[in-house]
Formats: sequence, C-alpha cells, structure tokens
Amino acid sequence: MATASAVADGRPARWRRSASSGSLTAGSSLGLGVAMIWFSLLVLIPLSAIVVKAAGGGWSTFEHVLASEQTRSALQLTVLSSLAVTAVNMVMGTMIAWMLVRDRFRGMGLLDLLIDIPFAMPTIVVGLVLLSLYGPDSPIGVEIQNTRWAVLLAMAFVTLPFIVRTVQPVLEELDTDAEDAAASLGAGRFTTFRRVILPALVPAIFAGAALSFARGISEYGSLLLISGNLPGRTEVVSVRLFSFLEGGNLAAAAAVATVMLVVALLAIVTLDIVQRRVARRV
Amino acid sequence: MSIDVSQVSKRFGDFVALDDVSVSLPTGQLTALLGPSGGGKSTLLRIIAGLDSADEGSISIEGVEATKLPARKRNVGFVFQHYAVFKHMTVAKNVAFGLEIRKRPKDEIAHRVDELLRLVHLQQFAHRLPSQLSGGQRQRMALARALAVEPKVLLLDEPFGALDAKVRKELRDWLRRLHDEVHVTTVFVTHDQEEALEVADEIVVINEGRVEQVGTPDTLYDEPANDFVMGFLGEVTQLGGLTLRPHDIDVSTTPLLAGATPGTITRLLRVGFEVRATVTTDAGEEVTVVMTRTSSRSLGLDQGAKVWLTPASGATTVPAMRSVASVG
Repeated sequence: MATASAVADGRPARWRRSASSGSLTAGSSLGLGVAMIWFSLLVLIPLSAIVVKAAGGGWSTFEHVLASEQTRSALQLTVLSSLAVTAVNMVMGTMIAWMLVRDRFRGMGLLDLLIDIPFAMPTIVVGLVLLSLYGPDSPIGVEIQNTRWAVLLAMAFVTLPFIVRTVQPVLEELDTDAEDAAASLGAGRFTTFRRVILPALVPAIFAGAALSFARGISEYGSLLLISGNLPGRTEVVSVRLFSFLEGGNLAAAAAVATVMLVVALLAIVTLDIVQRRVARRV
Repeated sequence: MSIDVSQVSKRFGDFVALDDVSVSLPTGQLTALLGPSGGGKSTLLRIIAGLDSADEGSISIEGVEATKLPARKRNVGFVFQHYAVFKHMTVAKNVAFGLEIRKRPKDEIAHRVDELLRLVHLQQFAHRLPSQLSGGQRQRMALARALAVEPKVLLLDEPFGALDAKVRKELRDWLRRLHDEVHVTTVFVTHDQEEALEVADEIVVINEGRVEQVGTPDTLYDEPANDFVMGFLGEVTQLGGLTLRPHDIDVSTTPLLAGATPGTITRLLRVGFEVRATVTTDAGEEVTVVMTRTSSRSLGLDQGAKVWLTPASGATTVPAMRSVASVG
C-alpha cells in the first residue's frame, strides 16, 4: 500500500517523464524537429516578423497609434464585445451541450448537425444572412444594422459552436453514478450540478471560452456588412487594421496587430489561471 | 421489517427486469440479493434507493411509504460497483459531502469525517484525491461517505465486483465486521454465491425478475426450494431424476443396495485432496461424483471401473424437473 501510494503521489511519475525527455529516441527527435519547423514556418516566424515590424518604428509608433481615439475605440469595442459574447457562450454553450447529451427529443440529430453551421459557412455569407434578417426592411421588424448590437450578434453567431463542442464530449463521458451518489446523499438537482457536474466541465468550458474569445477578437467577414464600420462606434480592430493597410500605413497596422497579439496571449493565460482557480475551489 | 417491497414490477422496453416482486428485509441485518447477471437484483436495489422508479408496486422504508419519494429524501446510503467518487474532491471532502448538504456545523462535520475515516482505515489519506487511492481504498471511502449521513439503510450494488480476488475477500470479511459494529440495515447485491453465503444473515435469490427463495445461508444450502437455487448455490449433478451435490453420492464397487444406479467411470481427475469422477450410467447419463482421495483409494477406483451409485443418506436432493426438460 505504501509503495502504491508513493507512485500515485504523482511526483515520481513526473520525475520519470522529465528524465526521459532528456534523451529522445531517433524517431521522436525527428518528429519533434519536423513539428517545430512546421510550427515555426506557420506561426512563430510570421508573428515575430509582425512584432519586429512594429518595433522597427520604435515606441513612438505605438504611442501614435494608441493616441488615436478611433483606434482605441475599435480596440475597446472588439475586446469588450468578445468578452461579453464569450460569457454568454459559457452559459448557453453549456446548456446546449447538456441538452444534446442528456435530453431526448425529436430533431435532436438535426440540431446536433446544425450547431456546426457557423463553423462551416464563409463569414461573409454569415454577414449576408444576418443582414437579410436584421438589416433594412427586416422581415421580423428588428433592424440592428450599424449598431453595436450587430457586432455582438455577429460575434455570437460565429462563436456559438466552440463551447458546445468542447463540453459535449466531456459530458458524454461523465459518470452518472456520481450524480446518483450525490442524490442519495441528499443533494438536489442544482447542488448536484454545481458541486459534482460543473467542476468536471470547467476545464472544457474554459478551453471553449479561450477559442470563442480568440475567434471574437479576430472576426472580420461577418461584421463587415452588418456593423456598418462606423468609426468610433461599430468599427472593430480587424476592420481598422485593414483600413491602415489600405492607407499604406504598414507600421501602424503592425503596431495594432502586436497589441492584439498581446491581448490574445493575455486572454489565454488569464482563462487558464481562472480555470485552475475555479477547479481548485469547488 | 425495515424495507418492504410489495408487488414491484419494472420493464425496460420489452425486457422484464422485475416481475411482481414482494420481499421484506429485516431491520439491522445484512441481507444479500443473490442471482445471475441481468436477473433484476441491481434494479431492485436501485428502486429501493429511489434511483429508478417502479412501474408498479410500492416500497416502504422503516415503515415510511417511499414509493414516490425522490432519492435525496429517502435517507438511504448507496455504494456503487465502480465507486462513483467525486473526482475533484479530496477523500475528506467526499465523505463530508452529505453532511455539508445538510448544513451541519463545520466542527461537527470535521469530527464526524475524522471518525468515519478512522472506521474505514483511511485517516492518513484524508487529503488525497480519490485517483491516488487503490480500488479497495476508494470503495472504503465510498462506504464512509454513505455512512456519514447516518442512513436508515445501506445499499451496496456489487460493491466488490470491480476488485481483484484477494482484496475482494479482505473487504468482504471487513464488511461483515463493520456491520457487526455499526448495525445499520444493509442490503448488498452480488452474483457470487460464496460471498453471499459467507457474509449475509439472509439471502434473497433473484432470477429472471422473480424471487426464487428467501432464507438464511444454511436454509438455502440445505433446503433449496428448487433446482435453480440449488444449482446457483453450489455445484450440482443429476442422478436418477434427482438434482444433488456431487459429494452427496455414495460409490460402491459391488451392487450392494437395491436401486443403485450402475455405471462406468469414464474420467477420473485428482485435484489436491479431492477426486472428481465422471460416471456414465448404463442409461447413458453423465454423473459427476466428488470424494476424498482416501475413499477413492480404498475403493480402488480407476478409469473404466464398474461402479454403483446411490444418493448418500441425508443428502439434499431436488427433483430435476427443469434440467430434465431442457435435456429432453
């Protein structure tokens, strides 16, 4: 029992793993090499290039770009809208995943299929679809074109599947015995959900949230048509960036890109930390 | 009577899991629900706990009508085959769960958890996560968790089914001792007749959704109601239209008794102190006979030898109705 518990402690296992990574076999070093080259070509080098480009203009470029009221407003709108939409998705996405896994109803298979539509559609088509429903002469009488609601709506549309699809498989694998155990110990449905089910879903919810937020701040196509791109009101960062490029102001575009890179990194790290906290607290 | 099950039926689609089951389980005893897999015993346990609902019939626990009561209001402790631990909680938190739900004061909870962990010999693991425990330890934790809320009855669904043979045996003895200490009315489901015979005060044999027999281990073994019960509780063979135990057959090498069945030994196998002989009777029936090595030697038995078989006096026998029908 003593030896078993020593191994189960986790420390010896970790030690063994780190020791083995010091001496890779020929096969895995080749694999690691190829993976690193691929990752560098696709991600690291272009990212570094953008940062270098932005840094080339010196600190003043950043100051100049961020001094612009229009850019600051675009940054603010993008980040806050993405946060809001992600928060909504954390609730709605979990609910939809729950429905798909635990409930039995007609048309469930169809709904399960439709969830992925926002993934599959070209974003400009999403813009068109939203415009036809919520644009001028809206058939349902809701005209939100050229307002900040339109930004939220478009972002919510394209980020919907992320949390559904990360939570769904975890929920499917979840052992219902633990819920029965909670019930027999006197827990009501809400307590069981909060104390037994939710903690198991937290990592998946936050992983989906990170994806959802990242997609939100990067959205361009679906916003192009419906948001109206009004400077200082409904213009998002990606649109602002594009107009910098059109104006030939490459340095400013690179500076904005770098700011967004930092925002994305911050968001991912923050979500990871929050997730750890939440998982530990429950 | 602590638990009264009255005329309970349960169907899953076309499959009849329980067919008009009525049984009363006495207070303070350790009762086993014994039967083959898929016979309905786990379903009955889950219905008693309120984790499943009966299609028909009623359940009362300690005189309280419980048929419509949800699981959380039945005050029943339930232990699952695969432990059903709360993975993200420490061992102490797992055990404290039911008490926290009941909003007991913090120091009372801490005291009770400590007491229970001591009872199940896990006090030094209080701050571990369940994933850092062995299967046997997890099941003991699950038991402490169920006992924490001082349930009126404790229900265990194949509690040792997922453990290896040695741990199984240890836990079985330990459960018996624990029950003698705690005295809570306990019902456990098992398909292992040895487990039931060894641990239980009373055994309910369930097969194909029906109760075959209820009784003490001795009653069931000595006076089985039918050949299913007899066959399920131990090895059986057939001799002259009777079902009986292979060690309850007398072998002689001469036709001493009238009515003895003549046959030839077609196979002789020695397993330790035991000798297992397969005798093919002149009528073509295959009979298994078990005797000690010593008696086999004193009779000078060998393969191909002619023998006469008679049921031993005082042997438990049951007419072999069902099996004869299935052979025919």
